Amino acid sequence: MARPLTSLIKRDVRLAVRQGGSVVQSVLFFLMIGMIVPFGVGADADKLADIAPGIIMVAALLALLLTLDRLFQADFEDGSIDGLITLGPLLELTVLAKGVAHWLGTGLPLVLAAPVMALLLNLPLDAYPVMVLTIILATIGLSFIGMIGAALTVGIRRGGLLLSLLVIPLYVPIIIFGSAAIAVAGTGSPDLPASLGLLALIALGSLVLSPFAAAAALRLNAA
Amino acid sequence: MQLDERIDRLTMQRYANPKAFIAIADRVIPWLKVLTGLAFVGGLYLALFQAPADYQQSETVRIMFVHVPTATMSMMVFAIMTTSSIVALIWGHRVADLFARASAPIGAAFTFIALFSGSFWGRPMWGTWWEWGDARLVSELILLFIYFGYMGIWQTIDDPIKAAKAARITAIVGAVNLPIIKFSVDWWNTLHQPASLVRMDGPAIHESLLWPLFAMWAAFGLFYVTMALIGTKIEILRFQSRARAMRQTEGV
Amino acid sequence: MTRKQQRTWFLVGGVGVLALATVLILGALGDSLVYFYSPTELTEKAIDPGAQIRVGGLVEEGSVEKGEGLDVSFVVTDLNESVTVNYNGLLPDLFREGQGVVAEGSFLTDGQFHATKVLAKHDEKYMPKEVADALKEQGKWKADETLIDDSVKKYGIDDSGTNKGYGE
Repeated sequence: MARPLTSLIKRDVRLAVRQGGSVVQSVLFFLMIGMIVPFGVGADADKLADIAPGIIMVAALLALLLTLDRLFQADFEDGSIDGLITLGPLLELTVLAKGVAHWLGTGLPLVLAAPVMALLLNLPLDAYPVMVLTIILATIGLSFIGMIGAALTVGIRRGGLLLSLLVIPLYVPIIIFGSAAIAVAGTGSPDLPASLGLLALIALGSLVLSPFAAAAALRLNAA
Repeated sequence: MQLDERIDRLTMQRYANPKAFIAIADRVIPWLKVLTGLAFVGGLYLALFQAPADYQQSETVRIMFVHVPTATMSMMVFAIMTTSSIVALIWGHRVADLFARASAPIGAAFTFIALFSGSFWGRPMWGTWWEWGDARLVSELILLFIYFGYMGIWQTIDDPIKAAKAARITAIVGAVNLPIIKFSVDWWNTLHQPASLVRMDGPAIHESLLWPLFAMWAAFGLFYVTMALIGTKIEILRFQSRARAMRQTEGV
Repeated sequence: MTRKQQRTWFLVGGVGVLALATVLILGALGDSLVYFYSPTELTEKAIDPGAQIRVGGLVEEGSVEKGEGLDVSFVVTDLNESVTVNYNGLLPDLFREGQGVVAEGSFLTDGQFHATKVLAKHDEKYMPKEVADALKEQGKWKADETLIDDSVKKYGIDDSGTNKGYGE
């Protein structure tokens, strides 16, 4: 049962890397937000460091949100989704594999780009380790919660806007706890384990539950 | 007429009879309208003229009679929509889908009124219109956006049958927010005070303020039931004509 | 095993794992994620001067001192520890001695708390004035218990229905 899933993950990641450079584009988009913020708020180093946690989280959210509509689009358009539903392993597992592939193709590059982003925004150096951990947990949550929205809106014309409307409210806790964790990182604050713990809980919860919701949504859209 | 009946059977086959629903709704709606009107007149009289001023908040406490019923109804309506969606998911009950659809805008309106009245209550009492750090306030605002997302699903998906199925999933996923709203005041120490009514040692609201509150609750509850029934009836009629139009263009 | 059974088992397993993780994580967190700190928590935690925080508690009776203009200082207490707060600005209607309050601001280097915002926090009790007065007369009145430190609550209040605590 595991082999078709790993080959599916490999295929999806390869597609994401090769197809139109979407990985590079979303990373560039992420970094450009970091570049454009100092123009808006001024280049005061302390001020930038203050808002850096929030900006990094929001930028990660936006960069990931923009890739969601492609998650099931290709499979839906070429009809391979019907094959995934009727043949192969359980659809929930297939969807889980697609989520993992999506995270490897978009979340992980954002994690790797995050230190550069932090540099642009003058985040204190001792906050970096926590920030990277936060972005890892946050992007898992963003990918898997977003997957439900992607599956719900896959067949809809101009579904991208509706997709954002559906998932952004569900993203709010990730932004709250993620920004809080980065903001207190390196200060030795007792709030840090709480924020990271809740973030891990959200990541795990979405990893476990969203494949069921997304699979149900795919089944109805393919029917 | 014969064709209509056949199409009805096609689209609503083996589901609870929408005709029976409309017949019952038509019979009870006039009574519900009268009851809702009476409940509002009675409730407002009690709330504005009979209820005493609070020992701390004096006259401002009267905002409670709008804020508390709408806030609880905002969550209750979403819980009903979720239940309805689960019923529809398990038994394929189409009227349950449409009842959830008709409930959504009413629930969204309750949520908005709760946020708005809360803001106007918070300004004089707490000293702030809005606190981003308060879990109760923020989770209630998220509820409003989840309502909007649910309504967006129905609006955007053209095929009513697909829209119904997508809406069920949205309602069930969105329900994760309900326990967060309810227990936010217990999990975190918030600016918002803990629950006044559902407490281990009984309600913390004095009788003289409690009865007007119950009356207003009844009024908003009846208002919801009335509006939801009217809305569901309209949705059934619209669903039928839409499904008919779709079948005709597809040549079935 | 049919697909449906498979799916059910996965769902049951997933929810089981999730429930376990939730219990473990929430258990480990305790009540450490807060909107405001109590004075007792602040003395235990040693907050850096300049860090933006909120402190919540009861306004100590007789501690409110008005200075020039809108200057005001008062003591926030949880009946175990207390913090002196300095503030310049308008106070909300419900700001009273013995009532709940949340002050937002930071500690200065001299250990004084400088508030940029003061919010009133009221408890979940609603009653007419006569009832409140009667309760106070009978000695059955209780201050907002959520703002009182646990160590005091255990033997100070709640015991045999008489109130040896705050607000009499």
